[in-house]
Amino acid sequence: MADLEARGIPTVGVATTEFIEGAAAQAKSLGIDPALVFIPHPVQDRTDDELKKLADDHLEPILAMLVKRG
Amino acid sequence: MTVLLDPTSERSPTIRPRLPRPEKLDGLTIGILDIAKSRGDVFLHRLGERIGERGIAVKHYAKPTNTRVAPLPLRQQIAAEVDLVIEGLSD
Amino acid sequence: MTDRLPQNGLVAVVKRDCPTCVLAAPVLGALARDSGLTVYTQDDPSFPETVPGRIDDTALDMSHRLKIEIVPTLIRFEAGREVGRTYGWDRAEWQRLTGVEGLGRDLPETRPGCGAKNVEPGVIERLKIRFNETGLRSRRIAIGEDEDEQEAMFARGWSDGLPLAPPTEERVLHMLDGTARDPQEVLGLIPPALAAATVEKVAVNAVMAGCKAEYLPVVLAAVEAVLDESFAMHGVLATTMFVGPVVVVNGPVCRRIGMNSKGNALGQGNRANAAIGRALQLVIRNIGEGRPQEVDRATLGNPGKLSYCFAEDEEGSSWEPLAVERGLKPGQSAVTVFAGYGLQGIVDQKSRDPESLARSFAGSLRALSNVKHAPSCDALLVVCPEHHRTFRQAGWSKARLYEELYRLCEIPAAELVAGAQGIAEGGPASLAGKTVNKFRPGGIMIVRAGGDAGMFSGIIAGWSAGGPRSSLPVTKEVRN
Repeated sequence: MADLEARGIPTVGVATTEFIEGAAAQAKSLGIDPALVFIPHPVQDRTDDELKKLADDHLEPILAMLVKRG
Repeated sequence: MTVLLDPTSERSPTIRPRLPRPEKLDGLTIGILDIAKSRGDVFLHRLGERIGERGIAVKHYAKPTNTRVAPLPLRQQIAAEVDLVIEGLSD
Repeated sequence: MTDRLPQNGLVAVVKRDCPTCVLAAPVLGALARDSGLTVYTQDDPSFPETVPGRIDDTALDMSHRLKIEIVPTLIRFEAGREVGRTYGWDRAEWQRLTGVEGLGRDLPETRPGCGAKNVEPGVIERLKIRFNETGLRSRRIAIGEDEDEQEAMFARGWSDGLPLAPPTEERVLHMLDGTARDPQEVLGLIPPALAAATVEKVAVNAVMAGCKAEYLPVVLAAVEAVLDESFAMHGVLATTMFVGPVVVVNGPVCRRIGMNSKGNALGQGNRANAAIGRALQLVIRNIGEGRPQEVDRATLGNPGKLSYCFAEDEEGSSWEPLAVERGLKPGQSAVTVFAGYGLQGIVDQKSRDPESLARSFAGSLRALSNVKHAPSCDALLVVCPEHHRTFRQAGWSKARLYEELYRLCEIPAAELVAGAQGIAEGGPASLAGKTVNKFRPGGIMIVRAGGDAGMFSGIIAGWSAGGPRSSLPVTKEVRN
């Protein structure tokens, strides 16, 4: 993500809530402030329909991270 | 861990700020990068469909393996072909 | 580490790698046994064997706290305070301090001590950093283990495009040894951000540029010079034109720090030339926030904006050094900053007399900026030793050469008016019948530099239009 932003491409990462702390630690150590959207853990055992619903539900927050705020 | 002294006037925070975002998505291309963790593909594919329904161009990319950083040629290709990226699905 | 200093008692600091400490070991043993002496060892924790309860101070924490400079040091405490200390072995002193008679009967009267480990070069800096006694005020930036130092510095925008020396606390402390000035002294406000440049902040950038500590006074003088209002640093940075600060160094400091005034003086390969020029640019970038395509609008810029710094070749010159010409006393070290760019070469391998050579120079000078422009930018004429010899042998002083060049640069308006020579550029028709000098009075500066072989001088052109409306050169003394 940091690499793509360094190349001039605004990026938003999508991760499960499991990753919240790890993301914070990585961001601190790299000195970056990545745009992240978290979806509820777990993901591995979900059905296709459940995953599609998660995508539908989180589409707006994800796109919001790619446009200017306010 | 290395500690360096800040050579700047220190008027900005130490965290590198995010890139400025565009006003609107119209006319832009969104790249969707699958980092190859399981089940992410279904999620990301659905995102791509829904974004496409809005008339916004979408391109899909995938890392060859989850365990390593995306290869340089892939990153260069993405940077050349899209305006914005959604990357997932980390857990 | 617990504080084991006695309220009332004796403390000694020793190291095995010290013949006097070894000599005094039996005395230390006796004092430890009978008088409650506590012994700290700086290098080998198994020394001295005569003191079974010796304390390992290889981390040098206690030595630093006690400000030990020599080993052995013997200290007496009373009511929690140090009341006396002695260095080396001195029977009379040790007996006085301990109150014990007959110490070390079979030892010589006295024996000098050795340098303590905690004051060895490098070690004292590390200890100050560890104990946060450095007095450094710059914000600390922790580079994570995930990150490469070089990439981290590039990513933060600190670089001029080339790798930087990471400005660790140790390196900055060491750099500050190069000046007697207070690290928190403010030199001025660096444009365009008008942010305060302290000696410390300049030192951080000097480290990144690759400077040695002994270069710092020159860097500080260059920063002070560009901050002089008449240099117009903001304009020099913001212009669409080519210029950046060019630094010419005069005086004993040049030889002392190993600058190059001879072969390839304006080229690569000399650390002092390269790093001093670079440090100035990094200060403008990082403290002043002057960066290309932001406030720096230069269309092309020029390679000198990475670094452009050299020393004048004063030895054997019949001309006064530039700094003296500009008002400083002979023998003073000084920098002159000039808003300039590039190098226009003057090839003249045939002129045997000063008049002919001066005409070669003038021909090139007249082309600066545009052949149709007069008055035009200032110029820094760098005369190589072989060309200088031509003038010296003819008895031409610097003043004589200046006079000749200005005369040769008086140009008839017919050549200059807009449209003349089929070039739209140029001056107004109202100039007709007059002559215009290519340069304002004082617009040419002359220095001598370069290798001994080669008849190739050069011109560093300035900022159109030269003079008080744009940027004036500034000379500042180098202070330690």
